[in-house]
Amino acid sequence: MAIAREAEPVGSFSEVREAGLDREDLLGVYRNMLITRGVEERGHILYRQGKIPGSFYTGRGNEAAAVGVATAMGPDDVGTPLHRDMGVHITRGVEPWRIFANYMGRVDGPARGRDGNVHMADEQLGMIAMVSHLPAMLPVAVGCALAFRIREEPHVAVGWFGEGASARGDAHESMTLAGTRRLPMVFVCDNNQFAYSTPTQYEYATEHVADRAQAYGFEGVVVDGTDVLAVYREAKRAIEKARSGGGPTLIECLTLRMEGHAVHDDAFYVPKQMFEKWAESDPIERFRTWLRDNAQLTDEEEDDIAASVKKLLLTAMERAEESPQPDPSTLLEGVYATPEDLDTPHHK
Amino acid sequence: MAELTYLQAISDGLRTEMRRDKRVFLIGEDVGVYGGAFKVSLGFQEEFGPWRVIDAPLAETAIVGGATGAAIMGLRPVAEMQFADFISCAWDHLVTIAAKQRWRAGTPVPIVVRLPSGGGFSGGPFHSQNPESSFAHIPGLKCVCPATPEDAKGLLISAIEDPNPVLYFEHKHLYRRIKAEVPEERYTTPIGKARIHQEGSDISVITWGAMVYTAEEAAQQLDADGVSVEIVDLRTVMPWDKAAVLESARKTSKVLVLHEDTRTGGFGAEIAATISEEAFEDLDAPVKRIAAPDTPVPFSPVLEKAFIPQVDDVVAGLRELAAY
Amino acid sequence: MATETAVDVVMPQMGVSVSEGTITRWLKQEGEQIEADEPLLEISTDKVDTEVPSPASGTLTQILVQEGETVAVGTKLGQIGGAAGAPAPEPAAAPEASAEEAAPEPVAAAEEAPAPPAPAPAAPAPAPVASGNGKAFVSPVVARIASEHGVDPSQVPGTGQGGRVTKKDILAFVEGGGAAAAPAAPAAPAPAAPAPAAPAPAAPVAAPVAPGETLPGESLEPITAMRRGIAEHMRRSLDTSAHVTSAIEVDFSRIVATREKLKKEYQSAYGVNPTYLAFIAAATVETLRDYPYVNAEMRGDSIVTRNFVNLGIAVELAEGKGLIVPVIRNAEGLNLLGLARGIADIAAKARNKQLVPDDVQGGTFTITNPGGYGTFHGTPVISQPQSAILGTYALVKRPWVITDESGNDAIAIKPMMNITLTYDHRLVDGAYAGRFLRDLRERLEGWDGDGE
Repeated sequence: MAIAREAEPVGSFSEVREAGLDREDLLGVYRNMLITRGVEERGHILYRQGKIPGSFYTGRGNEAAAVGVATAMGPDDVGTPLHRDMGVHITRGVEPWRIFANYMGRVDGPARGRDGNVHMADEQLGMIAMVSHLPAMLPVAVGCALAFRIREEPHVAVGWFGEGASARGDAHESMTLAGTRRLPMVFVCDNNQFAYSTPTQYEYATEHVADRAQAYGFEGVVVDGTDVLAVYREAKRAIEKARSGGGPTLIECLTLRMEGHAVHDDAFYVPKQMFEKWAESDPIERFRTWLRDNAQLTDEEEDDIAASVKKLLLTAMERAEESPQPDPSTLLEGVYATPEDLDTPHHK
Repeated sequence: MAELTYLQAISDGLRTEMRRDKRVFLIGEDVGVYGGAFKVSLGFQEEFGPWRVIDAPLAETAIVGGATGAAIMGLRPVAEMQFADFISCAWDHLVTIAAKQRWRAGTPVPIVVRLPSGGGFSGGPFHSQNPESSFAHIPGLKCVCPATPEDAKGLLISAIEDPNPVLYFEHKHLYRRIKAEVPEERYTTPIGKARIHQEGSDISVITWGAMVYTAEEAAQQLDADGVSVEIVDLRTVMPWDKAAVLESARKTSKVLVLHEDTRTGGFGAEIAATISEEAFEDLDAPVKRIAAPDTPVPFSPVLEKAFIPQVDDVVAGLRELAAY
Repeated sequence: MATETAVDVVMPQMGVSVSEGTITRWLKQEGEQIEADEPLLEISTDKVDTEVPSPASGTLTQILVQEGETVAVGTKLGQIGGAAGAPAPEPAAAPEASAEEAAPEPVAAAEEAPAPPAPAPAAPAPAPVASGNGKAFVSPVVARIASEHGVDPSQVPGTGQGGRVTKKDILAFVEGGGAAAAPAAPAAPAPAAPAPAAPAPAAPVAAPVAPGETLPGESLEPITAMRRGIAEHMRRSLDTSAHVTSAIEVDFSRIVATREKLKKEYQSAYGVNPTYLAFIAAATVETLRDYPYVNAEMRGDSIVTRNFVNLGIAVELAEGKGLIVPVIRNAEGLNLLGLARGIADIAAKARNKQLVPDDVQGGTFTITNPGGYGTFHGTPVISQPQSAILGTYALVKRPWVITDESGNDAIAIKPMMNITLTYDHRLVDGAYAGRFLRDLRERLEGWDGDGE
């Protein structure tokens, strides 16, 4: 029996305006989703061409959830996005060429070759780099919210986690601390229904992950993760609520993971019908249709956006290829921080 | 100068920093209203308020992980584990994120984790451990173990200042037993530098924490034998003062490494290996280690006495070395 | 991305734990055109089967790995653009090629294998000694100090466990100037000839300066062959024999008087000087008859004694050029005159560089006179393989106690000479040496006229 509220879809353009986005913004959202998918598709190809070492993860099918939440964040808000949330990095302004460089382990990736995949973040853009352990970043995001609370700053921390990670103790502890202290925190659950090969019924025994929010003393809401506008609206509500002292919210974005856990996984355990059904609800296609229907998106605009994204990615690839390999002699540097490292916006 | 107990010195250091720098705050279980399980923060919440002396839920990962997040946002958290033993509950966070964030993502994590550690009062297996060696092994973490009240205050202040995660091991058995003169003003004690607790010429004892006093008592007995013992108080286990240790080893050519933590893989092993590697031609005897046996910490006083290195054990070890 | 330069097609890594992949199907043939990102081949790994998109546009100029082959991640599978490959060495993968060339293979493998870095050996103990406690065990620090100071640890008294030498022991030893507990081994050798007495090498310098380097105030000169030879001989002699020196004071009154008497006659009749050395030589040769071990040699496990004396006389060559010890053969058959002649003879030959090898070989006993410069005592180095060497010194007027027949003591002025016998204590004992010197003195002090 569900406890969490189910979010309404967003209908008209005027509803959207109420939620805070104008037409310009919408085209920007659309573009960001295209870039997100484009980066991951190109990365997937590079990986199969042997140009990217290690493993390769995508968030195919999660573009709306990621871009939707990120669009609702304020410039001084911070977040801990995960490997399905490339859209957050793109929306916050990370340049694609640096993402390609990170994939390839080059010096110009935010991790400078020291970590791979999307274990990267640009601190200047208010993000903190994820680790493999999940949901290990949630306590950290809650800590950021704690800092905002202590300093009485009107900023919000957003922490992402998957439905599988919700099983682990870190999630419980984070929500306990955030809930008991009414911290300015938004928990975003990317529920893409499979944690590697494990389906949801083995990860939580409630109907929704968001049902648990009540147990921690705050609201939980489930939203269609393929509907970027619905996601945006819920995220905006939750973020502003947190900003004004209303405490945390847990937003569960429901999608289907459209590719394997990593690209070396062919996801044979996902019933074919599920793929077919959710393919009909492709987030980018959905939004493109909505824009055509509700915001008079023209062919020309569409083509322009597509072309500019294609060009962006092409030049990004070329630039990334030129980024140097890291120098092994620098390996030992930076194990410890120096006082100079504290020269960040947050330490001022 | 004031005469303070080891515990009072820690309070003094923490209070000094919290008064001086608004970014410093304390978070832990029972630190606020109760003043801390050992009363280190008695009166603090009254002075600094509930958002700078925060009573945390029973959730070590949230405490230490939350400290990390707050530190990344520019604050200077001091997280307290009620007993050092509970750090295992936050081990994942510490070694996965706090230790590695600077190296792999360029993000410093200036946190301090205070860890009441050590045994000697029938605390049993879960209230008596000295877990410094496993953390010393993780690149990116610093581990300090003050033995004197003066160092306790100075090292805490240095730890708060340091832009790295610093694990501060405060030995519970020293809290009220050790009293000494402590400067009243704010001062720092350098992390990574050992201190010669007493000079000697025949044997070097390398040690830290409560064992410094055990070594001191044992050395007195050796003095009566005409054997001059030098005691090097490491003070910081990671990064440790290799130069000072090697200098002492070369001077006396006989070394005893002493720690309260269990023997196998205890930090003494690293010290002994390094001395053999780098001062081989200066050794007049094998490097000796005295440490607790490889068991959990026993509860019964009789068993605990057989576990924690006693003065007699150290005397015997020193005599053996002297006669070699 | 059309390209004319070659772009490699490589086996991708499909997953972190994947180390190899198998080509299941090439979707293009060699020579065919292909576009970038167009599927080029299909592979199978133990994680997944997938297509590999072409990394570039152009002609597939080379296929290097065939369908069905399994190769390591990163292996070049083919090439887009560039020159068409020479008939590809059948599967470029190493296995077949190297099978054909069995001999070079190990070399190729060795080149490919990362050269195992020469492990920096931990500095070995300078004096590896048998393990275990006891006097044989030398700890690293003791070995180092010993080598720095040129000290033999086995010469150092040990107070450590099992009697081992401790750091304290060897430091005390070094600081004490190396005055050893070892029996009767004098530390300071002097040259065995009237060469300028070398100062006794002091207990070794604490911090040796590196060869070729100088401290301020120092200068360097190269070591000559002669010097090297002397150094070698001296060192070897001291290392071989157990040098001990006994000395005796001899009243030369009679000799002086006799010499006065004989000088003129010897000069005019024989053309030689009856030198003090000649007298001493005569008395020595006589005494040697009664003390064969002083004229002996250790040969292997035996001691060699003789019924002859080949008497060596140390001669200094022109100032500083060194010393040489020519030999008077069968001196036992010579009297004062014969010895005086013999001495004059070899001295002249030595000075005129007329000595032949035979002249300097075969000596059984040596007399040396370091006293030419006024010194009254010394400890010459035995000329190997002899068992002793006699040292003579300045003849000096000294106040001396004499006792008359009534037993009354008085001081008289006497010409005194100190004479030393440096002997090899391996075969000559102190008492024996003492008796030799006593007898020698008696002969010299009781010299009677021409003979004794």
